[in-house]
Amino acid sequence: MPRSMSRRQVLRGAAGFTLALPLLPSLLPRDAGAGGGPLGPRRRRFISLCTEHGGIWGDNMWPGDAMLSDDQTYAGHSIRRGDLVASEADGRTRLSQILSAPSTLFTPEILGKLNLIRGLDHTFYIAHHQGGHLGNYAQNDGNGTDGQELHASHRPTIDQLMAWSQEFYPDLATILERSLIMGNNVSFGWSSPATQSGTVQAMPAEWSSLALFNRIFVPEDDLVDPRPPVVDRVIDNYLSLRQSNRRLSSADRQRLDDHLERLDELQRRLEVSVSCGDVPVPRTDTYEIQGESSFFFDPEAQARYWQLFNDVIVAAMLCDTSRIAVMRVTNNFSSFPGDWHQDVAHQAHLPNGEAQALLAEGNQRFFENVFMDLVSKLDVPQGDGTTLLDDCLVAWSQESGNQTHESISTPVITAGSGGGNMRTGQYVDYRNLAKGAFGKWDESNETLYPGLTFNQWLGTALQTMGMSPKSYESGDYGGYGEHFVGEGREHMYAPGVLDAQGDWLPWLQA
Amino acid sequence: MRLRSLLPSPTLLCPALACVLASGCYSGHVDADSDDEGVDSGESGDDGGDSGEPSDTFECDPAAVPTSLPLRRLSKVQYENTIRDLLRFALPSEGDGVADGLGTLLAAIPNDAIVAPPGQNHGGFARLDQDVHQEHINAAYDVGRAVGTALTEDPARLQQVVGACATDGDASNDAGCVDDFIRRFGERAMRRPVEDDEVAFFREVFDGEGVTQGMEPQAFADVIAVMLASPQLMYLIEHGEDPVEGQEGAYALGAYELASRLSYHLWQSMPDEELFAAARSGDLLTPEGYQAQVDRLFADARTRASMAEFYRQWLWLDDLPSMDALVGDPRFDAFAGDFAPGPETHEHMRDEVLAMLEYYTFDTPGSVSELMFSNQSFARAEDVAELYGVQPWSGGEPPQLPDAERVGLLTRAALTASGTANTRPIMKGVFIRTALLCQDIPPPPDNAAANPPAPAPNMSTREVVEQLTEQPDTSCMGCHGALINPLGFATENFDALGRFRDEQVLFDDDGQVTTSVPIDTRSVPQVTAGDHTPSAGPADLAQLIVDGGQFQACFARQYLRYTEGRPEDPVTDGCALQDLTTRLEAGAPMAEVLRAIALRPEFQQRQID
Repeated sequence: MPRSMSRRQVLRGAAGFTLALPLLPSLLPRDAGAGGGPLGPRRRRFISLCTEHGGIWGDNMWPGDAMLSDDQTYAGHSIRRGDLVASEADGRTRLSQILSAPSTLFTPEILGKLNLIRGLDHTFYIAHHQGGHLGNYAQNDGNGTDGQELHASHRPTIDQLMAWSQEFYPDLATILERSLIMGNNVSFGWSSPATQSGTVQAMPAEWSSLALFNRIFVPEDDLVDPRPPVVDRVIDNYLSLRQSNRRLSSADRQRLDDHLERLDELQRRLEVSVSCGDVPVPRTDTYEIQGESSFFFDPEAQARYWQLFNDVIVAAMLCDTSRIAVMRVTNNFSSFPGDWHQDVAHQAHLPNGEAQALLAEGNQRFFENVFMDLVSKLDVPQGDGTTLLDDCLVAWSQESGNQTHESISTPVITAGSGGGNMRTGQYVDYRNLAKGAFGKWDESNETLYPGLTFNQWLGTALQTMGMSPKSYESGDYGGYGEHFVGEGREHMYAPGVLDAQGDWLPWLQA
Repeated sequence: MRLRSLLPSPTLLCPALACVLASGCYSGHVDADSDDEGVDSGESGDDGGDSGEPSDTFECDPAAVPTSLPLRRLSKVQYENTIRDLLRFALPSEGDGVADGLGTLLAAIPNDAIVAPPGQNHGGFARLDQDVHQEHINAAYDVGRAVGTALTEDPARLQQVVGACATDGDASNDAGCVDDFIRRFGERAMRRPVEDDEVAFFREVFDGEGVTQGMEPQAFADVIAVMLASPQLMYLIEHGEDPVEGQEGAYALGAYELASRLSYHLWQSMPDEELFAAARSGDLLTPEGYQAQVDRLFADARTRASMAEFYRQWLWLDDLPSMDALVGDPRFDAFAGDFAPGPETHEHMRDEVLAMLEYYTFDTPGSVSELMFSNQSFARAEDVAELYGVQPWSGGEPPQLPDAERVGLLTRAALTASGTANTRPIMKGVFIRTALLCQDIPPPPDNAAANPPAPAPNMSTREVVEQLTEQPDTSCMGCHGALINPLGFATENFDALGRFRDEQVLFDDDGQVTTSVPIDTRSVPQVTAGDHTPSAGPADLAQLIVDGGQFQACFARQYLRYTEGRPEDPVTDGCALQDLTTRLEAGAPMAEVLRAIALRPEFQQRQID
């Protein structure tokens, strides 16, 4: 008689699930107290949404300056903040042209859980990049001398620091995937993550929402298999080669060590026991949507595509099979039939505003259909007076600031307080309005003002997630990310700005 | 939409190359540094000078030892092929069916990234991706478990896989039955004989710490699973044997190691029985025996698939966008006219180029000249044949192309089409400069696209590109004017669907014709630094490329990258690069060149520190 495999023996999922959509309601509400609170330490979750280009004019991206009611001097210059106040009209809630959504989605409760962070700079010219969102600045297209110089400085991104940190994951009893990565070249980790050493390599992306689902929902299996675990013998097999006296190079042995470390992780995952109830298998896969020829010019299809990933992410976090997700969103949410990159993003500064209008329209659709969709799905009660969103830090970052190619004043929009660590409901503006970066250097009316550093934001995000600075800081400056001020930009950042990088960003610490 | 009428060429500039630093590019006059040919830095993947022009001549130092990759991981393609071949070996009649059933499990193996050589943002090969991720380990484990179960789940299969002794109920032959299976299946999975201590190890796996009862199918399944997740399957493990005389740190590969290296290079899979037999007998380690196996493997259909992968990645064919994405857009529909691109048109374009390369590599002796000057169509699909104005090719002598200007590789639809209404001369230029000539293009300056001039609506694509990137005294002019644009302009007589044209018809956003402008394919492409020979169009450009020597040297570099799974080092790889380049320049058939690398001594040895 063939013997059924036990959970300990096989990782693959899906086959056991045959239920129907919807996916999320079967999980809601469940597991009262899962977020911690009086029942234990909070389980924090980190979700990063990274979009291409940026280049959105300030008036389109941000609320009016009147909202910035408070100010203080910090790091040598005046900074400003204010509580978020949205307008309501025609069934829509609005903070700005881009930050607007139907009021049924963009509720007052959600509004109070957002932060709008303006005035975060990469302190060098990086232009097109993928790794700048989460701290691996070396992952850039080399569009300028600064970008080329950074190519030698690969480092893990903050999501992977957390994924392998005991501070973020004090226990892994239910964790099937330490992180969920959707998008290429946005997340980077060590080849030996447990020892935080080796080479820095790009984490592989998952493009299928169904495959992602299968990785985080594994059929429960009560079978007790009397046979010893096969994985143990696989490990023995690798150890035998590693410890043999056969001729191997030192690099060969390092590769074997790295592989053994991964086998340890496999062994751990095979021990994970989760009970997610009757989780239905999604019947639509992102593959199917992306396979349509018109996908790249169909904003509604693009919204559905990312919403499928949102469903899986939220379900994983509700079921606590993962607490980290990173999405690199490369769609434009527009039906514009030309070359978005050249004809829109690279023309977005032209004063006639036509390209800017397209850019703003696409970003508004992203905010409404992806960001707010995710945030609202996360905002479900946990049974202890909090919602899952409260335990999250959801962060939307753009590739550039208000000028495509230029990462001065790169917008970051957050949701959730990271388990109460981050103060929310604010619009903060860290720009130094007394110091223009380059003057008026293009044809638009946008002026670039230097602010505080993106390294400081990344450090703040890590601390929000419970990471101690000593676990990620290195060198003479705080925060996270290569410390590098590009040539010709030294005048933009007073010593106080650089010295402050290890601090929480002002007003954000709860 | 007014925006688009302002920009009649919406796909002009490449993402990273809107403007390029002038100081590192040809500037229209001979630069002393630019002419400094043959200077190697000795650093892997970075042997160009400021001109961006690498060496097209190599020096062979017989004492130089090429670098070897540490514990080379099978690519995803190689891993999948290996699993399939193992299943065919174990279950000749059902192996393919079992393999097909592994679809989702095999799909969980991460796709290999296309890794460009250092300093480049475009092109590259999947074999250069040697990262090992958690997903590799997890998926290989699941595949091993599933294969173990599939091969043993019923008595008939168990009998076929293990032998009649597995099901005969005779306990007296059980021990021999298990050991025999371990040695026989293990030799295939591990690609070498299973040593006695390893037989003992797998016997322990079978015994399951004493829980196994008799010839229990699950016990065999466990053995199979451990073998399929073993380092010997997932990596090319090469211990080497005797040191190579005169090359410190180099060791000759053993017979089984050589068999694997050869079969994974040419077949992307494990050795077949004949190659195993040659390794077993030691015949493979004789010059004659090795030559015979190289010839045999190269002549096998499986080599065609491997070389197709090389060609596909070398020529960036996977980057070709869909041709039908804009169907329904008035401007595109007007541009396309009577031609209706379908969802597979871009694949057919790609297939046509691959068919041409396959034809000259395997079916008729062809050199790089044939690739660059062929005026025959290899389009098997009706849509691409329609674009060319010929009948679909169904084997035999390929049809002649009616357009005299459609000369060679550079004029094929896959290398000229963009999927929009406009060509992309800048990207065409970048492709030729980097993929075909292996010349670096310096990075664009900061804020390169900050203030582009507004092109007029009645400009040709070429004129728009010139307007945007060739303004005098701009930082853009240096590289675009010398390195990039002239190469792309040469094939502007083929439109964005790859059709021949002698004028460019411009449309507004409603699809109405606004004007037509003449096509100009003249340029000074500077294929080699300082060469100001003018080119009238595609044929002249192809001639300059073939005559210049850079193309042959670049081909050698690209093929070595693909073969070795790493960037080339012009110093330690100098002998192999020199050999290949010399053959190419002498007009050797492609088959000879591609086969030659496996006959090089470096291919048959490994460097171990």
